[in-house]
Amino acid sequence: MTTVRVQYYAVLREQAGRSDEEVATAAATPAALYEELRARHGLTLARAQLRVAIDGEFADWQAPLNDGARVVFIPPVAGG
Amino acid sequence: MGAFAFSDRPLDPDREREALADPACGGYASFEGWVRDFNDGRPVKRLEYEAYAELAIKEGERIVAEARARFGVAHARCVHRVGPLALGELAVWVGVSAAHRGEAFAACRYIIDEVKHRVPIWKKEHYLDGDSGWVNCERCAAAAPEAPQGHGHDHGTRVAATASVERHAPHLARPDYSRQVVLPEVGEAGQRRLSAARVLVVGAGGLGVPVLGYLAGAGIGTLGVVDGDTLDASNLHRQTLYALADVGRPKALLAAERLRSLNPEVDVRAYVERADRAGLASLATGYDVLVDCSDNFTTRFVVNDVAVELGKSAVLASVYQYEGQLQVLRPGGACLRCVWPEATQDGLVGNCAEAGVLGPVPGVLGSLQALEVLKLVLGLTTPAEDAVVLLDLGTLETRRIRAPRAACCAGRACVRVGAATPEPEVELDLAVLDEAVADGYVVVDLRDAREAAADPAPVRHLHIPLAELLAEPSRLDSKQRYLLLCARGQRSLAAARTLRRSGFMGVWSLRGGLAARRVT
Repeated sequence: MTTVRVQYYAVLREQAGRSDEEVATAAATPAALYEELRARHGLTLARAQLRVAIDGEFADWQAPLNDGARVVFIPPVAGG
Repeated sequence: MGAFAFSDRPLDPDREREALADPACGGYASFEGWVRDFNDGRPVKRLEYEAYAELAIKEGERIVAEARARFGVAHARCVHRVGPLALGELAVWVGVSAAHRGEAFAACRYIIDEVKHRVPIWKKEHYLDGDSGWVNCERCAAAAPEAPQGHGHDHGTRVAATASVERHAPHLARPDYSRQVVLPEVGEAGQRRLSAARVLVVGAGGLGVPVLGYLAGAGIGTLGVVDGDTLDASNLHRQTLYALADVGRPKALLAAERLRSLNPEVDVRAYVERADRAGLASLATGYDVLVDCSDNFTTRFVVNDVAVELGKSAVLASVYQYEGQLQVLRPGGACLRCVWPEATQDGLVGNCAEAGVLGPVPGVLGSLQALEVLKLVLGLTTPAEDAVVLLDLGTLETRRIRAPRAACCAGRACVRVGAATPEPEVELDLAVLDEAVADGYVVVDLRDAREAAADPAPVRHLHIPLAELLAEPSRLDSKQRYLLLCARGQRSLAAARTLRRSGFMGVWSLRGGLAARRVT
């Protein structure tokens, strides 16, 4: 198990009902982590519509997920 | 002969009319404004007009040029009297000649309305009872309730007959940049760079208003405003450049008008149009920096792609409820497609109308955009380059995510911009929805249950909320033709594109949604 800090933005924050949380997960990649959280919180956006950042940098969905990582899920926003 | 002129002699409409004659024109329309013997219940015996000629002629010529561009008329001219006029005298004349009568009437109406509203002309009425007053200055009516600067006459209250013209003579202060010039990073040299800069702002809404205001105030030399929308009352909580009395007027023209009064030194150019790729690419060649203040992904990607293609810098921002995203593009650096490789579709995540927003949120993001533009022009470094800045204004947390240029673009032109292909046409324009049913389309309302119940679609239809339809497209018959509709046409457009990719080639979206059907 790894423990990561997850932060949600925009519609994800609304659907998750929180802006961040600590998650203990068996997921090895942000892709697997997102699918796990998607099921848990009922997130509607598909992964293809999002970007993930790890420790302040946009990351690949298949990047390794290390203990203590700060993971941010970012949907695009359009309002103006 | 200018398109707008003042005359201190009686006007000659016949001569003016002859000057507009053209064998290519089948229609001519004119308007004459006369001195009336009554105003506001008081008998008037004569009046005087005075104008701030230098500014008024520029503004008048702009109005005539706008009318010619908007309505496509061949010739147009407006002449206004100044000085003392007797009852019944011709005070203002507008003439338009065009291929057809429709545009001649419309342009004529536009010119007189805008002249009354925008051109600094003051009217002093002399009443039969010996009293007099300065009245009917629509510029004041449209401005803030307090007496506007540079427009120095008492208003609303009649002034005593002894009041002199001098006391009411308007004067404009000169723009003063001293508060920014004193900064070591600006100085006189920086101010010259600002005065030489040309910035094109796409969108004059919640983000655009602070951008435009700050850039005009800073003395940016040329400021272009692109916006195809008219002002809606629901815009005003976040678009503080406008007034309730402006509702229904094109935002680009309104913004231009306000910015010129904020700083007459700025060359403000209004483009009342929706930014598409070809149109924006040709406009953008005349500018150094593009600022995306639009409210939709389609336009945001168009601004990005044009900036990359032409090698311009751009400042992009967007908001969602309490959050915002900011990205600064430099030639050769990361662009929007480095962050969002698949151009996001409108309708899948909310905009201000659907998701709601507090006014200051786009205000903050727009202010940041203005600041980034000034930094770009002044040559200051910014940590916003090659990064996306995320702001959560609920928690006041800021996060800067590094976004290097995509590996596939390194050392070359952005391959993603080059590869971007225009979406196939999937929208239908229909004034009458029943026509679609008569033509064999099945109409599908994609709004959620609450929206649909509050405002039922005025046509026979199926109701399948967007999320349900996307989750289960097999509810549609791939051989049937469908017309999808929603409130504004964004969700239906996204759904139609997604469904087309899944092989439902008969799916169309109602352009502009139900809102577009309500325009009278």
